[in-house]
Amino acid sequence: MAEPTPTPENVSVTIDGMTLSVPKGTRLLDACAQAGVSISHYCYHPGLSAPAQCRMCLVEVEKSPKLVASCVGTVADGMVVHTQSENALKAREGVLEFYLVNHPLDCPVCDQAGECKLQDYVSAEGPPMGRSKEPKRVLGRDDFGGDVMFYADRCVMCTRCVRFMREVAQDERLTTVQRGSRTVIDTFYDEGLTGNIWADNIVDLCPVGALVSKDFLHKARAWDLDRTPSVCPNCSMGCNVRLETRDNQVMRLKPRPNPEVNAHWMCDFGRLNYSWMNRVDRIEAPLVRDGGRHVPMSWADTLTRLADALRGAAGGARAVVSPFEGNEGIGALRRVLEAVGGGDGVFRCEQGEEVILPGFPELALRRDRAANVVGAELFGFARTGGADGKGGLEQAAAHTGVLFVLGDELADAPADFGANASLFVYVGQHLAPAARNAHFVLPATTFAEMEGTFTNIQRRVQRFWPAQRAPGMARPSWQILGVLLAGISEAGAPGTAADAFAGLGAVRAEFGQLSWAELGAQGAVLPGVRELQETGD
Amino acid sequence: MSAEPIRSGSEYDPTSWPEAKQVPGFAGDTGEFATLSEADVRGSAYVGQRPADGGHASVAGTLPYQVATSRADAPLFVGPYEDRLEKVLSRYPDRQAALLPALHLAHELRGHLSPQTQDEVAERLQLPPAYVRGVATFYTMYNLAPVGKYLIQVCTNISCNLCGGDAVLESFLKHTGTDLGEVSANGLWTVIEVECLGACGFPTAVQINERYFENVRPENVPAILERLV
Ligand code: SF4
Ligand code: SF4
Ligand code: FES
Ligand code: FES
Repeated sequence: MAEPTPTPENVSVTIDGMTLSVPKGTRLLDACAQAGVSISHYCYHPGLSAPAQCRMCLVEVEKSPKLVASCVGTVADGMVVHTQSENALKAREGVLEFYLVNHPLDCPVCDQAGECKLQDYVSAEGPPMGRSKEPKRVLGRDDFGGDVMFYADRCVMCTRCVRFMREVAQDERLTTVQRGSRTVIDTFYDEGLTGNIWADNIVDLCPVGALVSKDFLHKARAWDLDRTPSVCPNCSMGCNVRLETRDNQVMRLKPRPNPEVNAHWMCDFGRLNYSWMNRVDRIEAPLVRDGGRHVPMSWADTLTRLADALRGAAGGARAVVSPFEGNEGIGALRRVLEAVGGGDGVFRCEQGEEVILPGFPELALRRDRAANVVGAELFGFARTGGADGKGGLEQAAAHTGVLFVLGDELADAPADFGANASLFVYVGQHLAPAARNAHFVLPATTFAEMEGTFTNIQRRVQRFWPAQRAPGMARPSWQILGVLLAGISEAGAPGTAADAFAGLGAVRAEFGQLSWAELGAQGAVLPGVRELQETGD
Repeated sequence: MSAEPIRSGSEYDPTSWPEAKQVPGFAGDTGEFATLSEADVRGSAYVGQRPADGGHASVAGTLPYQVATSRADAPLFVGPYEDRLEKVLSRYPDRQAALLPALHLAHELRGHLSPQTQDEVAERLQLPPAYVRGVATFYTMYNLAPVGKYLIQVCTNISCNLCGGDAVLESFLKHTGTDLGEVSANGLWTVIEVECLGACGFPTAVQINERYFENVRPENVPAILERLV
C-alpha cells in the first residue's frame, strides 16, 4: 500500500467514438463525463460510496456480455463504450419505466419539481407512454424530525440518504425497512433525525422529491429562484453555498461543492439561519445628527462633513467591528483608523459548541458563529465580550475621541453608548438604540447585498457575490469607508470590490499577494499560512 | 389427543446425535442443542412414522424442535443465552454478520422482535438501531408484533393452493376464531398466510411454531389444534 505511485497510469478508452486517455481506475461514469456525455444516475453521488443500486447508469461495453453499471465499472485499456447504443438506451428506458410504475405524478406540487432527476431523465430518455394500468401504491409521508419531511411514494430507493447518514454523518438513523415493493426509508421507530445538525444534506442529496425541507416546503418553485454563489456567514468555517432568492428574499441556502472546505455539505445551523438577511428594519439613508435629531442627507454631503470632522478630531480613535463584515470593510476601517492617528479595535462574536462532520472532519460547525473572525483578527481587531456575543464594550463606551462602530448592532449597549465620544460614527445595517447617539449613521449593506470576501478558519479567502438588492441608499462598507479614506488621506477611492480588496495589501501584506481574479469561486489560502499557524498567531 | 410430554434430555443417550459434519464455513458446534435430546429436537411423534393428523415420514427426520415457551419480558442474553450469543459472535468476522442469529436468539426468547427488543440487540451488538430495524423487517420469519403461543403459518402458494390451501387457511381461522394475523383471545393462536414453505411435495403444508404439518386437510384442523393445547 505504501508504494508511491507518482504518476497514475493512463489508459485509453473510446466513448461514443471519442478516444480519450484517463487514469486507470477511473469510474466509467466519470470518464463519460470527461468525454462530455452525462450518464443518468440516482444512487451514485461523488461524496458517497457507489452500491450500483438504481441501475440507471447502464452503458454498453464492447465484449462485455451484459450492460455495465457505469458508476461501479472502471475503465480498462482499449475499452470501447457505447452510451447511446440501442441496447443501452432501451435498458435505461426500461429502468425508467419501472421507476414510473409507482412514482406519483404530483410534480405540480412536489417541492423538487424543476430539480428532479426523474423528470430530467424521463424527459431525456424515458418511455414516451406509460403502460401501467394498475393503481400506484400509496405510502404517505412521514416527519423524520429535524427539518426533514419524507414523501415515501416519491422515493426511488437510491439509498443516498441512508449512506449519507452512515458514511458521512456517521449517525446511522435512516435505513430501508420492509422488502420488495413495500420497501421504504425509515428511522428507528419514533427516533427521528432531530439533533443531527448535518441531516438536511439528505434533502440536497435526494434526487427526487422524497426528502424535502420543512423550512422550504411550498415556499417557492425551484425555477423561480435566482441562485448566487456565496459563502455561509454563520460560522468561521465559511462553507461555500448558493443563496437562492426570489423577490429579493433569501428563500434557502444550498451547499456549493468545494473539496477544500465543505466538500458537498453544509450544516443545518448555517442553512436555516438566513432570515436575518431578509430583515426589513434597515437604515436606508445616511443620517447626520443635528442637535437632538438625525437628518437624512446625501452621501456626498455626509461624507464631506464626516471627512471634515475627522480631520479636526482629536483624542485617538477606537472601533467596534462585526465579524459578519467582509475583509474589505474591516480592512478599510483599519486604514481609516490609521489615518486618524491609530487606535484599538475590538469585535464580539457569539460562540457555541463545535460540531464536526465525522465523515469529513475538515468540516465542522465552528465555535465562532460568524464568518470573518479570522479576517477581523488579521486586521488587528481583538476579541472582546462573552461567548454570547455580548459585553466587552466598556472601553469603547468610555472613549472620548473618535469612535467607529462597523456592523455591530450594539443590542446590549447602554443607552448612553458613545455619548462621551467627540465623534461617533455608526456604519451598519440596523438602527440599534445605542446608535442613536451617533453623529453620523451610515447605512451599509449586508454581505448578501454586496461583493466581497471573508477569511475562514483555514485562512482561506473566499468571495461572495450580491444576491439581494440593497435597501435605499445603503452601500457596501468598503465603499463608504474607502471613499471616506480617500477624503482624509492620499489613498484613492475604490470603485469596485476588487479595488477595495487590492487596498488590503496596505494593511496586511499577505492580502497583497492574492489576486482578486485568482480567488475565483473557490477562494485561495493566504500565503504564509504555515508560519502563522506554527506561531499560534 | 394431547401432546406427549417432552422428556428431559437425561433420559436419552446423547451419543445418538450424529456428529456434526465439518463442512466449509462451519465453525463448530454453537452449543445451541447441547442440552436437547434427539426427541426434543425432532419430535418423537414424528420419527420414522407418518402421523394420522399430518406430516410425512420422508421429512420427519428433518423436523426441527418446537418452541412454544417464549416470554415477551424474558431477559435477553443472560445465562445460557449469553453463552450462545458469544458462540454466535465467534463464528462471524464482524458483529454485523452475527445480527441474524442474534435476532433469532431474541426471537426465540421473546416470541417477537419489539422495537425495544431490536434496540437491545442493537445495543448488545453495537449496531445502529435503525440498521437492526431494517434487517428485522426484511425477513418475514421474524415476528415484529406479539403472536399467540402457537403461530400457525399456512402455505397458500402454488402447490398448496392447488391442493386446497385456502380452505385449510379458512378452517384454521374458523377453529381458532381469529382474523389473519390476530392473536386469539386466549393468547394461544395466531394464524398467518405464508408463501412457499419449501414442502411443496406434501401440500397443504402448515408450520406451527417450528414444526411442519403436511398433507393437512381442512378436516384435520380441529385435531391438530386439540393436540397442541
Ligand atoms: S429518500 Fe431520496 S435519497 Fe433516500 S433513498 Fe429515497 S430517493 Fe434516495
Ligand atoms: S459549518 Fe459554518 S459555514 Fe458551514 S454551513 Fe454551518 S454555519 Fe455555515
Ligand atoms: S448510479 Fe449506477 S447503478 Fe445507480
Ligand atoms: S407451495 Fe406450499 S410449501 Fe411450497
